[in-house]
This record gives sequence, C-alpha cells and structure tokens, in this order.
Amino acid sequence: MLDMVMTTGVVHLTIGNLIMWLIAFLFIYLAITKNYEPLLLVPIGFGILVVNLPLTFLMHEGEGLLWKFYHYGLEWEVIPPLIFLGLGALTDFGPMIANPKTLILGAGAQFGVYVAFFGALLLGFKIPEACSIGIIGGADGPTTIYTTVHLAPHLLGATAVAAYSYMSLVPIIQPPIMRLLTTEKERKIRMRQLRPVSKKEKILFPLVTVLVICLIVPASAPLMAMFMLGNLFKECGVVKRLSDTAANELMNIVTILLGISVGATMSAEAFLKPQVIFVFIMGLIAFAFSTAAGILLAKFMNLFFKEKINPLIGSAGVSAVPMAARVSQIMGAKYDPKNFLLMHAMGPNVAGVIGTVVAAGVFLALGG
Amino acid sequence: MIDWNLAVKIFSFGLGAVFSSLAILIAAIYAFGKIVKVTEKRAD
Repeated sequence: MLDMVMTTGVVHLTIGNLIMWLIAFLFIYLAITKNYEPLLLVPIGFGILVVNLPLTFLMHEGEGLLWKFYHYGLEWEVIPPLIFLGLGALTDFGPMIANPKTLILGAGAQFGVYVAFFGALLLGFKIPEACSIGIIGGADGPTTIYTTVHLAPHLLGATAVAAYSYMSLVPIIQPPIMRLLTTEKERKIRMRQLRPVSKKEKILFPLVTVLVICLIVPASAPLMAMFMLGNLFKECGVVKRLSDTAANELMNIVTILLGISVGATMSAEAFLKPQVIFVFIMGLIAFAFSTAAGILLAKFMNLFFKEKINPLIGSAGVSAVPMAARVSQIMGAKYDPKNFLLMHAMGPNVAGVIGTVVAAGVFLALGG
Repeated sequence: MIDWNLAVKIFSFGLGAVFSSLAILIAAIYAFGKIVKVTEKRAD
C-alpha cells in the first residue's frame, strides 16, 4: 500500500511546485482575462503547470516529451527561426522603405540592450548571462529565446517570460516615459504622408537586407535569413500558399511548441532563485532605456532635418510589433486627434526587429 | 571575474554594427529606390 502511495505525485509535491502552480495559474489568468500575450502565456502557463507535477519526468533528458520539444525545437535552433519566417510573412516594410530615416530610430532603441547588459554585469552575472538579459531590451521574444538558449539556457524561462511580459505591458510602460521626454508641441508634430512604395522596391528590400546584415553580422543569419525569406514570400506574390502557411498554420504550430517548451524550463528548482528577480528588474530597465533612447534620438535628428519627426514614433523603435507603434498612434491622437502616426511609427517598429537581431548576432559572436 | 575588456568590445562592436548595418540599409534603400524609378521611367 505504501509503495503504491509512493508512486503517486502527491507525496512528492514541494512548496516550490505549489508556488510554480500559482505562477502558472497567474499566467493563464492574465492571458484569458486581461488578454496579455495570450498566444504565448497560455502554453507557457500550462507548460509551467505540468513540468511542476512530480514524477511526470516531462523534462527528463532523452525521454520526457517536453524535453524533446525543448531539445529539438529550441536547442536545435528550429523554432525561433521558423517564428521569424512567419513574422517576415506578416511584416510590411513599406512604411520603412518610404521613410528610411526611421531605420535610425530602430537602431537607437537598442541602446537599452547595452544598459541592461552592463547593469547585469554589475549585478554579478557572467558575460553570456548579461547578453541574454540585455537582449530583453530589444522587446523581441524569439530573439531573446534564441540568444538565451545559446548563451545562458538556465535563464531561458526568466528571460523569455520577462521579454513577453514587458512586450504585453508596452501600453503601460511606455506612455509615462514618452510624456516625460517630450513637450506638448513635439507630440503634436504632424509628419508628411508617406509616399507609395512600388512592388519592385518591396521585393528588393528582403534580398538587399539579407545580404547587408548577414555580411556584417554573420551570426545573425539564422534569424535574419528566415525573416527576409518570409517577407520575400509575402512580397513576391507568386508563392501565396507558402506565404499563407508561414504566416498562419506554421506560425501557430511553432508558437504552441515555443510556448510549452519555454514553460517547461520553469521548474521550481530552476526558476525560484534570487537571480530571476534581477533578470526581471534588468529587463524592465532595458525596456525603459530603449524607449527613452528612441525618443531622444528622434529629438536629436530634428536638430538636423528640415522635415521634423514626431518624437513619439521613436519609442516604437523597441521591436514589440505592432503594439509599440499603436502606443505612438494613441499617444499622438490624444494631443491631436487628426494626427495619424501609426504608419510612421511602423518604420522604426520593424527597423527595431532588424536592429535587435543584429545586436543578438554580435552577442552570439562575441559573448559565448 | 568579469572580463571588462570583452564587455566593452561587445558594447562598442554591437552598437557600431547596429548603426552601421542600418545606415548601409538606408543608403541601399535610397539607391534601389532611385534605380527602380529610373527603370520604370525608361519602361514608360
């Protein structure tokens, strides 16, 4: 009888498991009731729940089901590049091609990545760990996961959850910083309507980008190549089936695997450590500095350009597509209801994705 | 022990790579935009 009882999970439950259950329930609750990144938080929350069930061995090396998802999906670098394929098929680079200056804002918004990188080093993290924490500031979930799996896999749960949490909290984190760093006059700046972009330009863009970025930072190739391939599918117009699959079915499948794999790394032993709190703090700092840097760079550019940029679009340089661009639009419309900033903000927004991938490539090349 | 030399190298090379690659992209976008315009004009 005692042997039979010992084979159940109940007697092996720990306080840590129960705390992780609460975290899992919180994620699922936030996803369902508050709509915070539900596509990720539901599978992540469920992954946390089941990996903290004793004796299930779901993350047992070589045998566990979730270990196989994690190993072959993340450690083998399959899932994040496939997510980028789908993102590419969903992304319209038109606003950025129409106003290429906005690419600089996407670069400026990477500043927070390095603030968090140095902050993490000062807190005692090693260089590979600091790289994984810093990249949270790019506000790009798949890039954060890709970088962390390579450099600091033991921090995967914390960095991934921090990245996705802050991305979903963009409408709460960014507006106070935007208000603090801009004047009412600047918030009302109207930008000239964007020119139409030809189909040829849109087809050339992914080809040129993959050449430029992968030649400068070869380590970014897995993400950048798939991102641009997805975009070429979308823009070339002759592979609609592939484009649709990359943007919908494939994206959905890999999102499920990504979410549950990330959740599965969050066992009580791996997650309930003081350093996880530091990861969340540094992630928030990275996010705030990235937002501020984008805004300040837009103001700096206004010193030189005749056509003024509304600094509110600078904050969209953090990747979080399209949430950050929407925040710029909402904020601008609050001060001038006829000011339409959304398309202008999409430029730095998608440029931010490219900038984050480049920053991650350098981390992978030098930080490992 | 943190290798601060490497950290500074990562920072300077990283930020440099981000800005330079995006600057080259800007130049490339302007360049192929012009080329496309010229070829379209010729075709007309």
